[in-house]
Amino acid sequence: MYLKKIGILVKKELGDAFFSPLIYILSGLFCFMMGWLFFNYLLQAKTLTTATMTQAVITPIFGNMNFIFVFLCPLLTMRSFAEERKQSTLDLLLRSELSEMQIILAKFISNLVMVLFMISFTLVFPIILALSGYSDWGVVGSSYLGVLLSIMAYIAVGLFCSSLTDNQIVASLLTFCILLGSMLMVITVNATNNYLLALIVQYMTVPFHYEGFVKGLFRSYSFIYFASFIGFFFLLTLKSLQSRKW
Amino acid sequence: MENNIAIDINKLSKSYPGRVALNEITFSVKKGSVHGFLGPNGAGKSTTMKILSGLIPESSGEFKVDGKVGFLPEHPPVYPNMTVEDYLQFVFDIYSPEKSNKKEAVADVMEKTGLSNVKERLIGNLSKGYQQRVGIAQALVHSPEIIILDEPTVGLDPVAIAEIRDLITKLKKDHTILFSTHQLHDVELLCSDITLINHGKIVVTGPLEKILEGLKTRMVIRARVGSFCEADVKKMMAQFKLESVEYKSEPDKKDITLKIVANANENSKKDIARFLTDDSIGLLEFGEEKLDLEEVFKQMVQ
Repeated sequence: MYLKKIGILVKKELGDAFFSPLIYILSGLFCFMMGWLFFNYLLQAKTLTTATMTQAVITPIFGNMNFIFVFLCPLLTMRSFAEERKQSTLDLLLRSELSEMQIILAKFISNLVMVLFMISFTLVFPIILALSGYSDWGVVGSSYLGVLLSIMAYIAVGLFCSSLTDNQIVASLLTFCILLGSMLMVITVNATNNYLLALIVQYMTVPFHYEGFVKGLFRSYSFIYFASFIGFFFLLTLKSLQSRKW
Repeated sequence: MENNIAIDINKLSKSYPGRVALNEITFSVKKGSVHGFLGPNGAGKSTTMKILSGLIPESSGEFKVDGKVGFLPEHPPVYPNMTVEDYLQFVFDIYSPEKSNKKEAVADVMEKTGLSNVKERLIGNLSKGYQQRVGIAQALVHSPEIIILDEPTVGLDPVAIAEIRDLITKLKKDHTILFSTHQLHDVELLCSDITLINHGKIVVTGPLEKILEGLKTRMVIRARVGSFCEADVKKMMAQFKLESVEYKSEPDKKDITLKIVANANENSKKDIARFLTDDSIGLLEFGEEKLDLEEVFKQMVQ
């Protein structure tokens, strides 16, 4: 029953999302950028270097994909709660049989499905590589997993920001600022002379954990990091939704 | 709780930082009644309704609601890019996910609210009156015993208002209805009980008839006479127990208009009329002003 209730809202959300042009515009933009980048990396890979296909194409293409989603995720998640608030339909959901957590999970899942829809277009890259004899599928798989986990973290941030306001633009800008800010923490890592501080801050940044996956490394603490990152922002979103009762 | 009480509110208060929205309000809504909830803007009507529907918590006091509540907030909570039918099915699903009679319930409520002919249309494209109906349908679709409507007729054209009024009349057979409104005409036509609230306090509550009855103890007489002066006022005040006598002469006419507020029990209209027919005054017109709900509203809110 718990999952069925989530399913009801996910179905409605996805119906809404694929009914509106936003998802198709974003998908088109995403495909254009990714295709263009892939083409360029392939061309560069033709020149004789010591770099393998993985180093020359896979690593940079997934790095770029991750970075592009720092821009796209805020645009996807901005409407989740902000629009409901504006249409005063949020009260409709909150009064219903669905718990706050179920609403958050449903919004999270539907945003994730939208992202999966967009990412699914990039499956054409491995196919093209396979046709030219590439065979290191382990790295491709772990890179996809890394991108997916990062994006889940971005969505969690986006949902929280969206729950704070009824203005979609504010929600997306806030999400973008938090995501970019967490990336810029890397600068602190490079700048500080304090080794311990550098390690701590490094652990806090998404790219550090993401890099492991692109290298094909499954590090248990990265899974814990993403799980706690997403959990933390779920908690904040939950508190934000409950704040009407304060 | 007594068996015939649907909503029982006891010393309910709600305060926001620096502002008291509701100050120990107490009233009850009888089962099967249509209860009008009146008050000027910002009196605390919406706050009360939000508390009753469980959207926001009360600061102190208590309330009991006997049965499921269907709630229509001030703005109908609709998704503009869903069709009417899909939307109502969605609301049914999230409010009673364990029930299986979705199709029938939705068809039934669309029939009741007159939405059957627009069920395929997007809600965003409907007129405001129809959107309001969708809002009411949304409150009904999970078959609650109690329906709370927050200003269901606000911002609608007269035809739409009449339609919503008919709809409420229809609903009154199966549901207890609490609704807030500014349309005093609606109240007189629909309600069996009313509660008047101002500045977060209950001004008056009870059966409509009794409240109107209570008003009839005061009588306002308007008359037009040939001449009138201060001496006549004194004379009248001495002869009858009057609250006030006002007179003013119209600049473009020779006549003088009088407004006499009297206690209906102790003064008979006849005697006052006889006094005014005196030669020196010369009665031209005589009439009693009917005190309706609008007057009550104005008087009590002041």
